[in-house]
Amino acid sequence: MNDTKLYIQNLFAVKKIAIGQNRQQLFEDFIKKEDNEQIVKTIIEQQNYLMDKWELKNRVADIIAQQLTIPNATVGKLYKFKIDFEQLNLTDLIHVECFGLEEMGLAFNKNESIIEGIPNQNGELSFKLLFKIINEAEDSIPNEKIIPIVINADPKTLWKDIPSNRAAPFWKKDDIIASGKLGDKKIVVASKRGRSHENVGSFRDDDFSFKLIEEIGWSAIAVADGAGSYPLSREGSRLACIAVIDYFEKHLEKETLEDFEHKIFEQQKSNGEDLLNEIKVLSKQILYKAVLFSHQQIKNLAEQIEVSSPELFNNPKAKNALDYFHTTLIFTLFKKFDFGYVVMTFGVGDCPIAIVNKEQTETTLLNWLDVGEFGGGTRFVTQADIFHSQEHPMASRFNFKIMADFSYLFLMSDGIYDPKFVVEANLEKHERWLEFLKDLQGENEENVKVDFSYENKEIADQLSTWMDFWSPGNHDDRTLAIVF
Amino acid sequence: MRRLPVYLLLDTSGSMSGEPIEAVKNGVQVMISSLRQNPQAIETAFLSVITFDSTARQIIPLTDLGSFQMTDLRATGTTSLGDALKVVSTCIDNEVGKTTAETKGDWKPLVFIMTDGIPTDDWQVGLREFQKRKTAYTVACAAGSGADTAVLKQITENVVSLDTADSQSIAKFFAWVTASIGVSSTKVEDAGKEVTGLNELPPPPSELNIVV
Repeated sequence: MNDTKLYIQNLFAVKKIAIGQNRQQLFEDFIKKEDNEQIVKTIIEQQNYLMDKWELKNRVADIIAQQLTIPNATVGKLYKFKIDFEQLNLTDLIHVECFGLEEMGLAFNKNESIIEGIPNQNGELSFKLLFKIINEAEDSIPNEKIIPIVINADPKTLWKDIPSNRAAPFWKKDDIIASGKLGDKKIVVASKRGRSHENVGSFRDDDFSFKLIEEIGWSAIAVADGAGSYPLSREGSRLACIAVIDYFEKHLEKETLEDFEHKIFEQQKSNGEDLLNEIKVLSKQILYKAVLFSHQQIKNLAEQIEVSSPELFNNPKAKNALDYFHTTLIFTLFKKFDFGYVVMTFGVGDCPIAIVNKEQTETTLLNWLDVGEFGGGTRFVTQADIFHSQEHPMASRFNFKIMADFSYLFLMSDGIYDPKFVVEANLEKHERWLEFLKDLQGENEENVKVDFSYENKEIADQLSTWMDFWSPGNHDDRTLAIVF
Repeated sequence: MRRLPVYLLLDTSGSMSGEPIEAVKNGVQVMISSLRQNPQAIETAFLSVITFDSTARQIIPLTDLGSFQMTDLRATGTTSLGDALKVVSTCIDNEVGKTTAETKGDWKPLVFIMTDGIPTDDWQVGLREFQKRKTAYTVACAAGSGADTAVLKQITENVVSLDTADSQSIAKFFAWVTASIGVSSTKVEDAGKEVTGLNELPPPPSELNIVV
């Protein structure tokens, strides 16, 4: 009763209808009339209904406008995300459904509010969240909220594989494999163009060469990595390797070698310290000539090409023609004697050589790596100053080792060392080399295996397949030579 | 894996409100979409956004491109560029991995600064902090005539300017930032080398004036 009176009083006040003193009784009677009471009740109900309706609309608009970010997905990678309605203050949502997720390979689990699945397309996409809120009519049309979702492409599919230009000067095959016998040992090598080169159609800069030089009984293996930023480095690395083999095969003085071997035999008998030191010096002298020969061969070629094809030499960064051929170089020369193996090495640049003893209880890193303070601080066999550097004496680049036997001898480019060993310090750790061996033998994500049994004829292909391993951020050329 | 950290220092002072701030937001979005298509960038580049107005704050920590989500930007307040330099210095200390004998750290960060005004704080204090940090390169962009290129020149030698801070010019700047990040990530992945200066970056579009 009071409600009715109050309502009408307020209404009249708003409408500026005054009720005079003399009409008070009339007003009281007016209120008490059955139908007026009913009218007020209906009006209030209708007003409340309007307000509720507006509140619902308002709430729905708020929900549609509310930012709802969901994490990005990646094609081919399992995606699972729970929409936490409570945390989003969306507890008044009922009848939630998602529309448009199926096309992306995703689905919405209603009971757990989870979006899950394996996305099958990439892009900046969106889907619809269909919902009703509490107090909305059962038969009302659901509201729509658009939710953006970013699906990244599978990074592996973003890489292109553009063949290198066969007509370019010094073209070389993108991938190359080899295997063979080196005396009573075997060798397998693969050298592959890196994805970063495939992506732009540039050339493999790595190279290798090996040979058992029958006449002297020594085996030589060389691996080189041409400097990516120098345009003809692919030829530098090829020639560096070939020249080393060539030197030992054709230019090594027989008398010097015979004298050297004789001294090694003597030393094995006498065990003399002085003689061993003398042998080490001789060993350096022998290898040094091969290094110099390699440097000289590249220099000759550079000078020759500069005359015949001057148009190739247009890089303002290069100081002379030789710079265009910048390459690192590692090589080893080894031979079996009745007392064991003599292994000699040389290295300039950031490619390691390591040897694992027969029992696989010890691994020795045979060279130190030229790694600068920051990435890319390597040195090249094509730099004249490596021959007379005070800071990094040439003599320190050689190694000489006598071993009863060995199980594996590795030469690799940084394309292998970077992803598999990460830092130089790890190359000194025997356990890391054992892990590396296990990796080669199949303990890897792809279960790709290299079978080192002597009967295996597929070994080079196996190594090549193994070398396709995926390692984010590591897409350089890869070269790995293994003597076993 | 060695990350390539990229810090964007964006001016969100009041003068940026309206078209400029929308253009910046859009520029970052387009940049992310484009870099996501670059296999080397998506693997190596990590992006952080620091905004500065009356104060500076890192609104997005160093995040890989795959997970990156741009947040809303609002323009209000003054231009605390010095504070932004302080904040980025702290972020570099905390977020960028250092190389040790046992681990390979991240690549040196790239820093892009965009401002349309003159710093209102004691920016030289921030600059002194920033100068103690090593970056591969820092590029500062003066957007429109209100910015002081002489101030930016003291922060980095790589200063570019836009005649007007309109959406087209800002879009061009971000397109160039995108190309620069692309080149830098290719270079670190491919040659194992860092880009060190403007001359190694792609040529800027004609809307960008190089301040010498």
